[in-house]
Amino acid sequence: MTEKTEKKQTSRISPIFKRAISHLFHKPATTKYPSVKPVLPPDTRGKLVYEIKDCNAIDFGSGPDFRLDIKVMRGSICHVCERDCPAGAITIVEVDGKQRPQINLNKCIFCCQCVDSCPRGAIKQSDIYELAVTDKASLIMKPKYSQKDASQ
Amino acid sequence: MLEADEKTGLTTITGLDLGTNIGVYYHVRTSKSFFTIKAEVPKENPRLKTLIDIHPGALFHELECADLMGAIFEGNELNGHFILSENWPNGIYPLRKDIDLSQVKLVPTPEHETNKSAEGREVKIIIGPQHPALLEPEKFSVTVDGETVTKVEPRIGYVHRGIEKSAESHTYLQNTYLVERVCGICNPCHAYTFVATVEKILKLEVPERARYLRVIALELNRLHSHLLVFGHAGLEIGYEAVFQYFWRDREPIMDLIELTSGNRVFGSLMTVGGIRRDINQEHIPKIKAVINDLQSKLPFYRKIYTDEPTLRLRMKDVGILSREDALKLSVVGPIARASGVDIDVRKDRPYEVYNEIPFKEIVYTDGDTWARMNVRMDELEESLNILDYALDHMPAGPIRIEAPRTVPIGEAVSTIEAPRGELLYYVRSNGTDIPERVKIRTPTLANIPSFLKTAIGESIADVPSNFVSLDPCFSCTDR
Repeated sequence: MTEKTEKKQTSRISPIFKRAISHLFHKPATTKYPSVKPVLPPDTRGKLVYEIKDCNAIDFGSGPDFRLDIKVMRGSICHVCERDCPAGAITIVEVDGKQRPQINLNKCIFCCQCVDSCPRGAIKQSDIYELAVTDKASLIMKPKYSQKDASQ
Repeated sequence: MLEADEKTGLTTITGLDLGTNIGVYYHVRTSKSFFTIKAEVPKENPRLKTLIDIHPGALFHELECADLMGAIFEGNELNGHFILSENWPNGIYPLRKDIDLSQVKLVPTPEHETNKSAEGREVKIIIGPQHPALLEPEKFSVTVDGETVTKVEPRIGYVHRGIEKSAESHTYLQNTYLVERVCGICNPCHAYTFVATVEKILKLEVPERARYLRVIALELNRLHSHLLVFGHAGLEIGYEAVFQYFWRDREPIMDLIELTSGNRVFGSLMTVGGIRRDINQEHIPKIKAVINDLQSKLPFYRKIYTDEPTLRLRMKDVGILSREDALKLSVVGPIARASGVDIDVRKDRPYEVYNEIPFKEIVYTDGDTWARMNVRMDELEESLNILDYALDHMPAGPIRIEAPRTVPIGEAVSTIEAPRGELLYYVRSNGTDIPERVKIRTPTLANIPSFLKTAIGESIADVPSNFVSLDPCFSCTDR
């Protein structure tokens, strides 16, 4: 076999071969979840958090408003989150004689449109993402006053 | 007109319920313009002449219109169903307004088609709906003579979710998130095209910064989609190392999407009147670092897809689509550009700020699987350059403007260049906050006919590598 044909044969070895061998001595690209939790970027759209004491908007504030047609909303009950939710995850229930949203995280698609829509910022996004449960009903967030709110 | 301009192609056919009439709108693109030819036929007797004898690319669009809207194209009659399931009752066309879908009762009918000997030497091999080579459910009945494919019959619609119908009962705001779920891979493209179409009806002028941010979101999407198909092609060919490397390097792009939007997959960035999130100035160096890192890895990846002996053997001269066929079947995106047809919506009919950003249109003339993958490889580089340019030239200012929730009576069409090709949205509004009709034409639906053509006469072993070079997305196809 001449030198030339040998050279031709070596060039037929895949360029990926050398790379693959070298990776035996590299750190793996995968992460060690769940023992090491990933660092999430700010503004991650995770589980929704609802503050009942901020809810029920009448005062729409001033300035440009992307969130709603004020004409439609005139009246005491706002319902914007229910109206805007694309997944139908928000239903209005009665709490202490007042109407409040109940968020069903089983249906939530985490678009956070309700966060944008809420005129009083009562619904917020959080970076909680570990939502696996064995009981589906525990993902329905019932609006209720905490003891701290009640004492105020 | 077909003779006068060889790049004339039928993008899609929209079926519309206009009360007593059925509207059949032909969306036509030429090398310079884009227009709609409107036809109306009475509902009792919705008969039209087929176009397939002068333009074979109309085949799937006519069948879809026939299945969902009940128009009859003489010469291209529908046997059974095209997108709807086989047990869907005949004579009920779901996109018509006078249909009560709650009355439709489906009876399960098991399919009995199996691998079997046809007459003589030919054998029918069923690929799908559940098959290791196809990651999504779709069926291709391949007839083979020995090892050679003689016929391919597709059956699509296994993941038909009726999103077009569902959009007729949601508000424009909700639809932005609904259409995003047409496809997991190219979701910003769907959301953007819908939003852009609504903005056309509203005659809204979007702020300059939002236009740049939209381009950034769309190009990040193109990057991750192309890197996905490079890996996926390796997997189909049986080269798992290629798959692992490309998907490892796709991960930083996914992290960038998460950084800029808040979610790895569904960005939910687009909204009528602008974009929902701004890119923080502090994050720009981080984004640029990822871009530079990927740019430094590109020569190695280009070497894999041009010179790697295994991939070359499996891709070179496989599934050759000639330029004439590509024009006749009006294929779009990288498949058309690999066959020497220079169509790219970003260049032909620029949207957002693509006319301000310098980039090259990639055209190969080989027309085989190898060329289709290399078109994407070159586009990867162009996308990185576009991102770099957009991040540098992004002006300051507001990112969204106030948009009304009710849309005046009107209609509009938008097309964009999604990673897989030309994506079309047609929206018709009736003056309320709910659209009357939303038509989605996805690129894969236009590209499947090319596979039916190129697979014939080739080995059955080349079917996977040929097919994956279309970058098929069936969630898009079926909607």
